[in-house]
Amino acid sequence: MTPARRDRRWLRAVLWLCAVLGMWELAALALDGRYILAGPVGIAGYMAGHAGLLGRALWATFQSALLGYLCGNLAAVALAALALLLPVSERAVRLFSLAVFCLPLIATGPILRVLYGPGIGPQVTLSALGVFYTTLVPLLAGLRAAPQVWLDLVDSYGRGRWAALRHVRGMAAVPYLVAGLQIAAPAAFLGAMIGEFTGAERGVGVLALRAMRSLDVEATWALAALAAAVSILAYEGAGRLGRLLWPGAPPVLLVAPVVERRRAPWVTFALWLALAAAVLLVWHGTMELFGLNAFFAKRPGDVWAFLVTGAGAAEHREVLFAALGQTLAMAGPGYVAGLAAGAVLAALCVLAPRAAGAVLPVAVTLRAVPIVTTAPLIVLALGRGAAGVVTIVAVMIFFPTLIACLHGLRLVPRPVIDVFETYAAGRWRTLVHARLPAALPAFFASARMTVPAAILAATVAEWLATGTGIGNLMALSSSTSDYNMLWSAVAVLTLVAVLAHGAVALAERAVFARYAPEQLRR
Amino acid sequence: MTRQPQTVLPRRRLLQMGGAALGAAALSPFAPRAARAATPVTFQLSWLHSVQFGGSYIAQSKGYWSDLGLDVALAPGGPNAPVEPPVVAGTALLGISAADYTAAAVENGAPFRILAVAMQKNPFAISSLPDNPVNVPKDLEGKSIGMATANTPVLEALCTLNDVDIGRIEVVPTQYDGAPLLAGQVDCLLSWATDLPVAMAMKGADPVVMLLADHGYAVHSQTYIATEDSIANRRADLVALLKGEVMGWTDYHADTDAAAELTVKMFPDAGLDLATQKLQAERQLPLMFTDLTEQNGFGWFTDETVAANVETLALLGRQVSPDLWDRSILEEVHGGA
Repeated sequence: MTPARRDRRWLRAVLWLCAVLGMWELAALALDGRYILAGPVGIAGYMAGHAGLLGRALWATFQSALLGYLCGNLAAVALAALALLLPVSERAVRLFSLAVFCLPLIATGPILRVLYGPGIGPQVTLSALGVFYTTLVPLLAGLRAAPQVWLDLVDSYGRGRWAALRHVRGMAAVPYLVAGLQIAAPAAFLGAMIGEFTGAERGVGVLALRAMRSLDVEATWALAALAAAVSILAYEGAGRLGRLLWPGAPPVLLVAPVVERRRAPWVTFALWLALAAAVLLVWHGTMELFGLNAFFAKRPGDVWAFLVTGAGAAEHREVLFAALGQTLAMAGPGYVAGLAAGAVLAALCVLAPRAAGAVLPVAVTLRAVPIVTTAPLIVLALGRGAAGVVTIVAVMIFFPTLIACLHGLRLVPRPVIDVFETYAAGRWRTLVHARLPAALPAFFASARMTVPAAILAATVAEWLATGTGIGNLMALSSSTSDYNMLWSAVAVLTLVAVLAHGAVALAERAVFARYAPEQLRR
Repeated sequence: MTRQPQTVLPRRRLLQMGGAALGAAALSPFAPRAARAATPVTFQLSWLHSVQFGGSYIAQSKGYWSDLGLDVALAPGGPNAPVEPPVVAGTALLGISAADYTAAAVENGAPFRILAVAMQKNPFAISSLPDNPVNVPKDLEGKSIGMATANTPVLEALCTLNDVDIGRIEVVPTQYDGAPLLAGQVDCLLSWATDLPVAMAMKGADPVVMLLADHGYAVHSQTYIATEDSIANRRADLVALLKGEVMGWTDYHADTDAAAELTVKMFPDAGLDLATQKLQAERQLPLMFTDLTEQNGFGWFTDETVAANVETLALLGRQVSPDLWDRSILEEVHGGA
């Protein structure tokens, strides 16, 4: 690139930025007096006037987020390695991770606070919980995306699974890991902020709460802008790290179609039964181990009695399932819309690479700004009905999908692209015939990991905007100490997530058998 | 279970010990804190730090508790920090709740007693703008009200108490935020009298505030709860804790501005605005100090006020016995003072 062209590009970027800021300021002016949106001028003024306060809050939340980010991602890497080295454990790893990821904050928050006492324990834990699953799922796909010949080579030298993991699979998984680390960046910060809602003395979450209640829109949006800025920087950092670790030349994955060994149905059934029993055992055992009081830490037996055998069980079920129905009616369309939006945007970014520069910061921002800040805007634009909630769910889903698919679409081996270029196939044909098939594992990884995210997002939106569904039921149960209902809701939500996850996995197998057989290898 | 490093400690210590002592403490971190070892207790507040708990901060900073042999940690609450679990679990000796929450927790098996009542009058209020005011409950008919749906029983009770047709009120679920009222999305707002209306007043809009307590809604708020086990086995600590509380709140009554200043100084990271805190401190005064406390002292309750609570709680769907209230500790506090 010549210096002149580079200058022109810079100029264009600056002009774009000015246009966006100008429109933002105009929108803020138009909404003046509604206490919903602050413009760049107001935000800058607040930041300048409260630099010390914001700096201290940012530092406090950043520390928790960083610790959570490290712990969560390390846990994901360790679990993925375990699943690969001990293939029998994979199903259990997946199920336990899903179950833990499904735990809503409203149930875990009070328990974490009781366990840790004062301090940053709950913030770090919630931040780690928010990231480990979205790293684990792409990583499991990535560890399989290695050419068979390389694995055969390791085999022929008589080396074992560990060597294969270290020298072949580990390298193949790097781009997937980077996608996970990038998705995790805003999630870690958000998790730390939300963790502060369990009772903290300082931090961005504490200030955000205060700002909202005191009608201080400048402060609210200054904090949102800070959260977004930190997340974008962390996202960029993870991307840079990825480019350092990995040259960016995806290998050709030639794998013969896998002939599936079909297990007898009763074996599969028994396997799942055993896993379900294990989850219940761990649930009960953990609560006993930490001696958690049965008043707020309900065991599987309590939930069973509440929903099945105890007095009023039929009534409890009716309340719970009515609320669940309302939630699923929102979460389902939001999930589909978010997946579609993420995949389509990723494809657009590949077709028009310059657009990616504009789309990605917006996407990271949307993910990083907490729903409590954006919900009033969305409600204003779309009302308190289904449209608002579906949009909130879609916003939460589309970011991980976009990032994962973007990485996936770039994973086309160079020789394949060369063939397309030789035949002068355009960007569109290359996308459809080369890039989309290469991105399928990444797409399904995001379809898997966003299942629980969709459900959790729907519950938060219900709690904040519509006052319906299981999100509202959980908030109500928590404020009236109805922990039986709360844990029943948690159990039912987890079950739904597992079932939805299973449905995605079935679709995935059918598609992979044709397009990505390496993913089906044991 | 390993505990996280307690990042709240340094500031608290700093306030207790003063600058000079801090230097010495920093040099010898393992030195005994004091010759007479203070009993550590945790006091679980119901919300983020603010002048809402001003009396407790006074007790802390003036050393009322340390003089009584207690080393008190004030644990802040938050939107996802219910008070009941830490008190049941014993990680907090005393918690701040409200009679309706406590009644619900007891129904679900928590062994709580209410020991004292900070807010004699319930702080729930309905705010409206002066050109479309809600002065009496009857005015609610035909209006829309913004509130968290979790508070629906509160509105129902108010309607029953005042013969208002709840079917004629449009309930709009909102976050706990004054913006929908100021933006004209709703006609009125259900909130505490001491937070959202104060924020609106600071923004120059002085809303009409109708206190539910003035219309038959009798539910003790900011109540002190402890478990039956603590009352039996840690009685002396509870008496000392409440004694410090009473002393702190008595000082607060004398000078709310000083309480607001202390709050802002003690929690520089909480993002508190001094003018807002002063107004809030002033507005919560009439809720906490009434003729009853004038005669009997801070936190007091009688068989009559308890009976009125039992009646309102029944409207909220909570069947409670007057035994939920236990005045014996407060009697010791005021008797021995």
